[in-house]
Amino acid sequence: MKWKLEKKDFQKFLQGLMEDYDLFAPVKLTEGVSEFKKINQPEEVYLNQLFTQKPAKEVFFPQSEVMFHYEKRGGQTQTISLEEIERERILLGAKPCEIKAISIIEKVFMSGESIDVYFLEKRRKTIIMGLACNHPLSTCFCTSTGGSPFLREGSDLFLIDLGESFLMEGITGKGLSFQENKFLKEPSEEDLNTAQLIESKAFQKVDSSVPVEGIEKRLDLMMESTFWNRVHEKCVGCRICTYLCPTCHCFDMVDEGGPQRGQRVRNWDSCLSPLYSLETSGHNPRPTGRERTRQRIMHKFNYYPKIYGQVACVGCGRCILYCPVHFDIRKAILWTSPKRPKKYEERSSS
Amino acid sequence: MIQEKIREIAKDLLRTKKVDLVIGFGEWTLPLRTTPLFIRTPEGADHLVWNSFCENNLAVYLHKFNQFKVGVVVKGCDARSIVALTLEKRFKRDQLFLIGVPCQRMVDRRKVKRAVQGEILHAFEEGDQIFLEGEEFKTTLRRDQFFYSSCQTCIHRTPLHTDVLMGDPVEESPLTEILPEVKAFEEKSPEGRWDYFKKEVSRCIRCYACREVCPMCYCEECFVDSSNPKWIERGQLPSDLMFYHIVRAYHQTGRCSGCGACERACPMEIRLTYLTQKLNQEVKDLFNFETGIDLEASPPLSTFRMDDHQDFIK
Amino acid sequence: MMEDHWEPKILAFLCNWCSYAGADLAGTSRIQYPPNIRVIRVPCSGRINPLFILKALQSGIDGVLVSGCHPGDCHYLSGNYVGRRKSVTLKRFLEYLGIEEGRIQFSWVSAAEGGKFAQVVSEMVEKIKGLGPNTRFSTTLFS
Repeated sequence: MKWKLEKKDFQKFLQGLMEDYDLFAPVKLTEGVSEFKKINQPEEVYLNQLFTQKPAKEVFFPQSEVMFHYEKRGGQTQTISLEEIERERILLGAKPCEIKAISIIEKVFMSGESIDVYFLEKRRKTIIMGLACNHPLSTCFCTSTGGSPFLREGSDLFLIDLGESFLMEGITGKGLSFQENKFLKEPSEEDLNTAQLIESKAFQKVDSSVPVEGIEKRLDLMMESTFWNRVHEKCVGCRICTYLCPTCHCFDMVDEGGPQRGQRVRNWDSCLSPLYSLETSGHNPRPTGRERTRQRIMHKFNYYPKIYGQVACVGCGRCILYCPVHFDIRKAILWTSPKRPKKYEERSSS
Repeated sequence: MIQEKIREIAKDLLRTKKVDLVIGFGEWTLPLRTTPLFIRTPEGADHLVWNSFCENNLAVYLHKFNQFKVGVVVKGCDARSIVALTLEKRFKRDQLFLIGVPCQRMVDRRKVKRAVQGEILHAFEEGDQIFLEGEEFKTTLRRDQFFYSSCQTCIHRTPLHTDVLMGDPVEESPLTEILPEVKAFEEKSPEGRWDYFKKEVSRCIRCYACREVCPMCYCEECFVDSSNPKWIERGQLPSDLMFYHIVRAYHQTGRCSGCGACERACPMEIRLTYLTQKLNQEVKDLFNFETGIDLEASPPLSTFRMDDHQDFIK
Repeated sequence: MMEDHWEPKILAFLCNWCSYAGADLAGTSRIQYPPNIRVIRVPCSGRINPLFILKALQSGIDGVLVSGCHPGDCHYLSGNYVGRRKSVTLKRFLEYLGIEEGRIQFSWVSAAEGGKFAQVVSEMVEKIKGLGPNTRFSTTLFS
């Protein structure tokens, strides 16, 4: 089912949603920088950037989350766990790549015997309204990883910006439940054609030549390759790529407080930090950037696919855009493939 | 051409084995950017470039390679960082070969991006113009309207204490009494200043890019990672974000070369240079010290004079 | 909670050999001074890590006093000189950022200057009362 929402009704539509749901959407922090936050006013929604710096994963997996807190009263310690959410949520304006990434993270947090209740509760109670990418960037390569700028999978409702209006597609039951909304109208034939045109243009634009296909098997043979000796050299070991990556999900648990009261907090962590694998004895199984960069690439393109059958990269390009030393993962992927440049000099750095 | 000279000297250094590797800049995939290159063969030197997008401070890599003889391409600010590191005995001066390039100032790629509509796909320089091309536009900008703020106020753009200089020295900028960023900040009230600072760092995501790209941040255990004593928590508490940035800036007192690498690295575009610029100013006023100029000077906080300023002490 | 009767909490880092002894002398001499300070004894004013001062402010302390030996009298010969440079740069930087002037103070108090110590503290308490509570780092851990 498809509907049309005029942009002139957008604010009122959002206002209506906010009566029943907590609305999470991109909010402007400063020129060119935005973040997913809970909206208090419809005017705060900021869709001018193709994507936010920090991806939508933080709506389900916050950067810093208090898991429980405890307090000693009269000899008894009372513990309150904080996974429960009162109100249902809507995630508005997430892009297809980061929505696909949420399903990648889900496989780790929500399958088998260990279910992360904090993640599960948020995921269960959130309706996802994805927003298509009309103008992908030259750094986007979602199609190389099995995605697309108009991938509807994972969205409950899918929005396409037609200029003066949004075309809205109901994808799941949760999405279709909005059909009674008074602001949603019947789309015209022209609207549907416009959407089709935008979609095929966007799809063409995305780089589908990055050789992700077959990378798992290629990396199987590369654990001790000299490739790793050089590829890491310019990496300074900050956490930008991992924090901004829609699929990265490493975390650190810390206890704060003391005997009387305190809390347990889960914070994002990064395998690129030397502290990540540092053991109490002082031994570090990943002592240098070589091992850490290798681990990052192996995790995304070899270890995770072995367990879950798909690569843990959605081709969003944030790591390329925001890396302070211009590390380009596409080049690293290229080097693992037969298409790699022959000349040694091209390989002497990455 | 500076680029050719850099390539020649790198080739020569590697051929004669005067150095084990040369660290410089190279083209990579994005427009308006270069990337650090680690060249080990004379043929590889052909990849070295020099343009207005060589924004990284390559001195940060010298810590990793302090067992080797290293040639490194340095701008004015980078050379100052290296002098500061030599004073702190991080390495010996004679294991470095400094390829100094008189700097024409670096272009702020974010400012450039904001000046156009649409994604920039190609960029090249000619003289003092930058030519930009996107999918549906072509435009030209004057590079002198898009410098980084740290470059605008840089006094010694010709690197000092280098082994070679790729070109004629550029004119030293006149000394401004108070740097514009610092002046603008000081004009606010105390509440206004704290609010501005708090708001800026509220965007911080603790990625530590500012720390990792800084050549002067080389502590084996940074204070933020210390758990005993634990100074700040690892989460997103606003007071911890403020604490981190205050201390990181303060730890640069008398050490910061003003290169601006911290601000350029920040993915959330947090302003940072107004913090260290103030400290550089204080160190100049109080101790007549400028980071990275004098190879014989002592870092100001590791020494003292009997007549140091003490009017503030009761 | 008596919100309207706020009393400043001031942390005083006193060097063991001079200022701490001076404070002690004020006590044994029965010199009255406001009870708003909490004392931390350090070996030397040069031992002060700027993070101590900042952590105190972050924890909600309203003022910090650092007191050491007079120039020339340092038990470790030059600790107070080193501390002097750290003190001035930190003070100016924090005032630049918007921490009110007067929240962080420094003094030279010798072991014989019980009276001076009392005076320094009294004046500081007055000053901090005028500035009001420290609200700069107002987030608490459990908020």
